[in-house]
Amino acid sequence: MASRDVVHYNTPLQRVLSVLSVVFVIFYLIWTLLPFVIMFVSSFKDLLEAFKLPAVGDWAGIGVFFEFTPTLKHYQTLFAENNFSRYMLNSLIAAGGSAVISVIFGSLAAYSLSRVDFRGKSDLFFWIISTRMAPVVAVMVPLFAIFRSLDLVGTLPGLILAYTTFNLPFAIWILKGFFDNVPYGIEEAQMVDGATRFQAFRSILPLVAPGIGAFIVLCILFAWNDFLFAAIIGSGGAKTLPVATRELVQPQNIQWGAIMAAGVVTTAPMMLLGLVIRKYLVTGLTMGAVKE
Amino acid sequence: MATVTIRNVWKYYGQTPAVKDLNVTCPDGSFVSILGPSGCGKSSTMRMIAGLEHISAGDILFDNQRINDLAPKDRDVAMVFENYALYPHKTVFENIANPLRLRGTADATIKERVTGAARLLEIAHLLERRPHELSGGQKQRVAIGRAIVREPKLFLFDEPIAHLDAKLRAHMRGEIKHLQRNLGTTMIYVTHDQLEALSMADFIAVMHDGELQQWGTPSEIFNKPVNAWVAGFVGEPAMNFLTCDLKRRGDDVVLSHHNFDIPLLPGQVRQLNGAAQAGIARMGVRPDAMTVSMTKPSEAAIQGEIFVNELLGGDMLVEVQLADSRIRVKTTPEFEGKPGEICYLTVNRDKWHVFDAGDGHAYF
Repeated sequence: MASRDVVHYNTPLQRVLSVLSVVFVIFYLIWTLLPFVIMFVSSFKDLLEAFKLPAVGDWAGIGVFFEFTPTLKHYQTLFAENNFSRYMLNSLIAAGGSAVISVIFGSLAAYSLSRVDFRGKSDLFFWIISTRMAPVVAVMVPLFAIFRSLDLVGTLPGLILAYTTFNLPFAIWILKGFFDNVPYGIEEAQMVDGATRFQAFRSILPLVAPGIGAFIVLCILFAWNDFLFAAIIGSGGAKTLPVATRELVQPQNIQWGAIMAAGVVTTAPMMLLGLVIRKYLVTGLTMGAVKE
Repeated sequence: MATVTIRNVWKYYGQTPAVKDLNVTCPDGSFVSILGPSGCGKSSTMRMIAGLEHISAGDILFDNQRINDLAPKDRDVAMVFENYALYPHKTVFENIANPLRLRGTADATIKERVTGAARLLEIAHLLERRPHELSGGQKQRVAIGRAIVREPKLFLFDEPIAHLDAKLRAHMRGEIKHLQRNLGTTMIYVTHDQLEALSMADFIAVMHDGELQQWGTPSEIFNKPVNAWVAGFVGEPAMNFLTCDLKRRGDDVVLSHHNFDIPLLPGQVRQLNGAAQAGIARMGVRPDAMTVSMTKPSEAAIQGEIFVNELLGGDMLVEVQLADSRIRVKTTPEFEGKPGEICYLTVNRDKWHVFDAGDGHAYF
């Protein structure tokens, strides 16, 4: 096997490029992380302190950002006055519920598509993916009409169903690749050993666990961060965090402190989730794509 | 234990027939090998017996019970797959225990049976490992362990040792045969390796292009092939074929070739039907049914020129150029002929065969 090292020649151009790339990375990090830092810091600041800014060009005055007395009052506003614990629970139920339902139906469908040959299979598979091709906005109005006639608007089951319509095709699409890579012989061995088809299917689930794990994360991210479905279908009884945050912007009063705190509350769980399953997510997504 | 009867079985993949009107009866407790090249329908046959493929037409019976419509789990067969098909996330112990677990066997019994099977296969020290930590031979033993841990009616082995190295394969041949004798369970063993079939089986079913060519004991298959295809497929080095003319000469029938005219034995003349006593035929003779010498031993000897010598350790294979073809002869390593020299072949007429030039069926 050939060496997989990238051969590195220390030419002057290379040295310039390596310095430039470090500079680029630094700027990129500032660009992406600064909003989070400001959000996080501001959520602990009193409103007066939050808007204390150094003059333009006064680089020494940057310390002003960090001169404040930490306060938890914005968080208290969120949870005591604005019922954010309820909205957080709604977000969790909507995201988790749709993830679980999508995984159950998605793995069954993906398994069938991977294992059973039938007429029109490729057309069916294309149709399943094609449901993801239309932008959410395009289907929103008809979806809303359907949901309203089914009395699902403003309910958690309605929201879960809405997320599932979008997550399920994605689940089938990702998981089919994983099932395709599991040798059929393993299920055949199971069936000869005395398993039913369903037991054989269950027995290979551990082999597609990385795929299921990766999918659950992507599915939860989609639902957790979603605003459009939540605002239209979930509005009223099934308010989620993004929608509740949006409502902190009132015509006569933009509650900056509470908005910052709500941002932290919304972002932190997903960042933690990302950190915990980071390794899992990467292996999961590449394992389906690269045949071993 | 069971007698397996395959009756008029067909297998179609779309419009393509893979198995054509197969009729075989495997006696209770016997070791039956299905032998054939890839694509001959032998694996399809086995998978139909296991229940992994639908039977397009015909019946398969275990002890006179029709099993066509039974799910694999209800057929009570145990199968060893070519690629072992072990469960990668389970330990060796759990792999072997799987068939018992699926049947709800008590834990104590499982432990006893699995350790028993593992001891028999000499893998008792590997029980806590996972399949990816095992060598090919060990994986194969685990797969066999999974098959023997419960006492099924029938073993199905699908080329189980095809992926092992030659030395281990020779060793496992003996072990599998010994195992089957001890357990006394009917075994159907699919292989493309004629040596495996000849050395292990009680009966061999030779298949080609989806059709059963011949059913018989290893010695029948080897010594009395029913057609030129079986004769050419079984035996290593392969049988030599020469296209000859059959000529009547007085009471004799003579096999005539550019290099020789040899009369058939009187019994062999009777085995030819009348129509075939004159015309083209194919003569077949195995490399070990001939002798080669540098001096002319008799008038009937065939003269040829040595093309190349191959030393195979204990034997020497001499390839001899006749007028339009080459034939291979097995001799001892002491043979002194050099390529290009004239040599003489003597055929053991008791062991030669004559096949019809058209459909290839054997006269004798």
